[in-house]
Amino acid sequence: MGNNNIEVEPEWKKGSAELLVLSLLDAQPRHGYDISKLIELRSGGTLSFHVTSLYPLLHRLESEGWIEGKWVEKADQRRRRYYRLTPAGRTLLRSKQKSWKDFVAAIGRVTGIEHA
Amino acid sequence: MPDWKDLVRRRLAAFNLTAPAESDLAEELAQHLEDRYRDLTVQGLDPGDAYARVLGELDARNPIAAKIPAEHYLRRHDLVPPGDSRRGGFLDGVLRDLRYAGRSIRNNPVFVAFAVLTVAIGIGANTTVFTLINTLMLNPLPARNPGELAAIAGADVDPSKPTASLPLSYPDLEDYQARNTVFVSLAGYTAPRPVTYQEGGSSEVFFAEFVTGNYFATLGLLPAAGRFFAPGEALPGGPAVAVINHATWQTRFGGAPDVVGRSVRLNNFVFTVIGVAPKGFIGVNPIFGPDFWLSAGAADRVWPPPMRNALHDRRQAAFAVLGRYRPGVTQAQAQANVAAIASALASEYPASNEGRTATVRQIRDAMLARVGGGAPGQVVFAGAALQAVVGIVLLIACSNVANLLLARSAARRREISIRLAIGASRLRLVRQLLTEASMLGLLGGAAGLGLGYAGLQLLFSAVPGSANFATPRFDVLVYVYTLLVSLATGFLFGIAPALRASRTGLAEALNETGRAVGQGRRRASLSNTLLVGQVAFSFLLLVTAALFLRSIARAYEMDPGFQTAHLAVFSTNAGQAGYTRAQTKSFYKEARDRVSRLPGIASVSWSANMPLWSPPVNGLMVEGWQSRSKNDTIRTVINTVDPGYFVTAGVEIRTGRAFTDLDRDTALPVAIVNETLAREFWPAGALGRRLRLPGETEFRQVVGVARTANYTAWGEPPQFCVYVPLEQNFADTMALYVRTEGDPLEQIAPVERAIHAAGPQIVVTRPRTGRQIIDGGLFSARMGVVLLTVFGLLALALASVGLYGILAYSATRRQREIGLRMAMGASRMSVLRLILGQALALVLAGIAIGFAASLATGRLLSRMLYGVSTSDPVSIGAAAIVLTAVALVACYFPARWASRVDPLTALREI
Repeated sequence: MGNNNIEVEPEWKKGSAELLVLSLLDAQPRHGYDISKLIELRSGGTLSFHVTSLYPLLHRLESEGWIEGKWVEKADQRRRRYYRLTPAGRTLLRSKQKSWKDFVAAIGRVTGIEHA
Repeated sequence: MPDWKDLVRRRLAAFNLTAPAESDLAEELAQHLEDRYRDLTVQGLDPGDAYARVLGELDARNPIAAKIPAEHYLRRHDLVPPGDSRRGGFLDGVLRDLRYAGRSIRNNPVFVAFAVLTVAIGIGANTTVFTLINTLMLNPLPARNPGELAAIAGADVDPSKPTASLPLSYPDLEDYQARNTVFVSLAGYTAPRPVTYQEGGSSEVFFAEFVTGNYFATLGLLPAAGRFFAPGEALPGGPAVAVINHATWQTRFGGAPDVVGRSVRLNNFVFTVIGVAPKGFIGVNPIFGPDFWLSAGAADRVWPPPMRNALHDRRQAAFAVLGRYRPGVTQAQAQANVAAIASALASEYPASNEGRTATVRQIRDAMLARVGGGAPGQVVFAGAALQAVVGIVLLIACSNVANLLLARSAARRREISIRLAIGASRLRLVRQLLTEASMLGLLGGAAGLGLGYAGLQLLFSAVPGSANFATPRFDVLVYVYTLLVSLATGFLFGIAPALRASRTGLAEALNETGRAVGQGRRRASLSNTLLVGQVAFSFLLLVTAALFLRSIARAYEMDPGFQTAHLAVFSTNAGQAGYTRAQTKSFYKEARDRVSRLPGIASVSWSANMPLWSPPVNGLMVEGWQSRSKNDTIRTVINTVDPGYFVTAGVEIRTGRAFTDLDRDTALPVAIVNETLAREFWPAGALGRRLRLPGETEFRQVVGVARTANYTAWGEPPQFCVYVPLEQNFADTMALYVRTEGDPLEQIAPVERAIHAAGPQIVVTRPRTGRQIIDGGLFSARMGVVLLTVFGLLALALASVGLYGILAYSATRRQREIGLRMAMGASRMSVLRLILGQALALVLAGIAIGFAASLATGRLLSRMLYGVSTSDPVSIGAAAIVLTAVALVACYFPARWASRVDPLTALREI
């Protein structure tokens, strides 16, 4: 792992937060720490969500009705709160993914950056 | 393993979450931190470093949080300190609210100072008026248990006759004292009467009440020094003793410690001072009280000759009576008992007591009646009106502060929304914001109380001769009132902003500033409404003040029926100085001769009545007129004058003649009537007709008809008047009317000297010029103008400040919009016009509403205005111009500032 020396514009990070979280929940339900760890892992350290930004976001997504949280008690473990996508959330995710693709493509055409 | 849950709980304690919400959140976050900590230690960090790192992440800025300004972030020192994690319980929540409110106030000194000052002005005005009302009307008597005190007065048996409360005679009082079964004690007291105090060679006028020996005991008072009357000391023939007014002792006698036991010479008679009344006591009088209370028993030696026998004569009624109820006695029982005694007296002494009964009233009602000069309704109306005016001023102040809070809540959106997002209940949030508002209200109330106190001290120290006047009292009632008003004020200006703020959603708050347009527009319209309301109220007050001003100017132009321009009037009381009838007559002649010889004097005459000081009396009999029923009686003013009166006072004789020196007491009894009376009873002609004055046995013949004038009050409706010659109706209290060629003020001293030369022991009281008399007559109207103008300008000042604040804030918020306009080519001027135009629209809306309101209240005011209609265009126009001008000035600066905005900066500000 280790930190990459990529400078990421704060604006871009902010705009993509919802997309990140919703995408991670697409595959399976997860709890908060899981989401945070995955983001850091998969982005190679470029993106990180700490406690104080993640949970307000999760609660907002929950109050909008796009994700749903539930306490789950597994054997031999303390109970944890797991989040999963709602049907509305799934629909939103699809539309956001499409928008993101179109956006990136448009930028690419203008700037001449080739998308690998 | 560190206790993450406890750490998180402590951090969350400041957010006032409900217990289950807090518990869940704490558990979730604690789990996260624990996982993170475990991962770090597994990676090889030592526990201390891992802990520090986790804490660092908890507080770290991150990509999203970087957009939130620092002061909205969870600051460590905003949170409850560790170890103080008590939760639950209503009281704990309240204490936490108070602590948080206190911190919030400390962190915003400028805003708080401004808000508190605004509120203080509003509450200060209210406290001042309430204290006046409390002192004069609600709680006028500083006695023990005033609720147990009653006023007993004489009245006509016939209930349809106007019952002015009549005093009782001394022998009647003695009978009531002996025969009643409902009072612990009954005490008698006279009205304050002027007495001449002589010391060395000079004389001065004081006021004194004659009271029975149990007066102070009935009131339940204790002397400030010395003692009160001993039993039996005030009986007829007893020693001449006096109790001195506390303020008189301090101001006129320098607070000398040896005042008890001192001898004072009053009306040529020596009294011994035996004690000092308690501080603040001015007798059973709401406004004006005596300097001395003298033993009633000395009346037979000290009163003017006609009244020397008053203590034994049932026909001379001079005593007001107060009594303290026996325990358990109701007013109805007392009334029945007293009425029974009155009816017994009426049959025992028909000559004096027939047709008379007695009434029992609460002492406060009796005192209130005296405040209004017999018209308590008018006083209550004035008090209520004044309270309404200051109430409006307070409302304006409240709306200013409400606007400020609305603006501030916009700035606190982020902080509030975060708290709401993690589970703080809306109710708790509203409660917290209301606590802050109440605290502001209480601070404003305390400051307002101080302002009110200082203001009243200033006002009352400016009143001359203040020893006799009631001093405004700050008692428990005033403090309770101020407290309640402060809390209500805080609630009033806090509720709307609190409700508005708690509806903030997380979504808009976390977005950029300029985006929350919908919310902002709703908030703006509430502010605008408040502003329009303020302008409307200010306009209403200003118009009313202008109307009163015009009314007074008109009043001065009115013709009262007698000449006021070159007139001076001097009041004398020969009887009081101990002059006999013969001495008095010769004094009158000599004084008139001496004064008329002075240079610059055009004419001189005597009259019994002072101008605008003549109350009408009942019982005139007119020849040829039959009373239609028992209650039908003629009410007329009676004036005793000498022959030169009509010339001196400038009262025109329409038909017939004035009095001459031939109208002596040995000649035919004559009278002169005014036009109103003549027209009413003898439309064919009054000369030669006959009438009979109440109390006289012979008829008088009418020899002249005079022009109707104002006798009792300025601008009064026409009433009857009968003049009789001095030679035929001797009086020992007369006023000297002097017509001057030049300015009457210059003649006052020479005339006084001349009168003094004619009668060395006679005191001249209240020398006044015609102009001063008019001023006195219009006193209450002038007071009204002063108060209305002061409060109107105050309201205007508050409204202007509010206008300025709102515009400044709105200009700030609209920076982006303005920047856009200017970037797209709008000129500075057009931006200026835009802002000013929108502000003026608000002002004009306020004026329109205020105008409508003024028409509505006009009906109430019309009876207090002389010759000015309530829709007087001059007043309304003037008020509108003043208001618009001030508003323009208030608007100009924010508008100018807004138009100076650099478009690029504005567009960049997100």
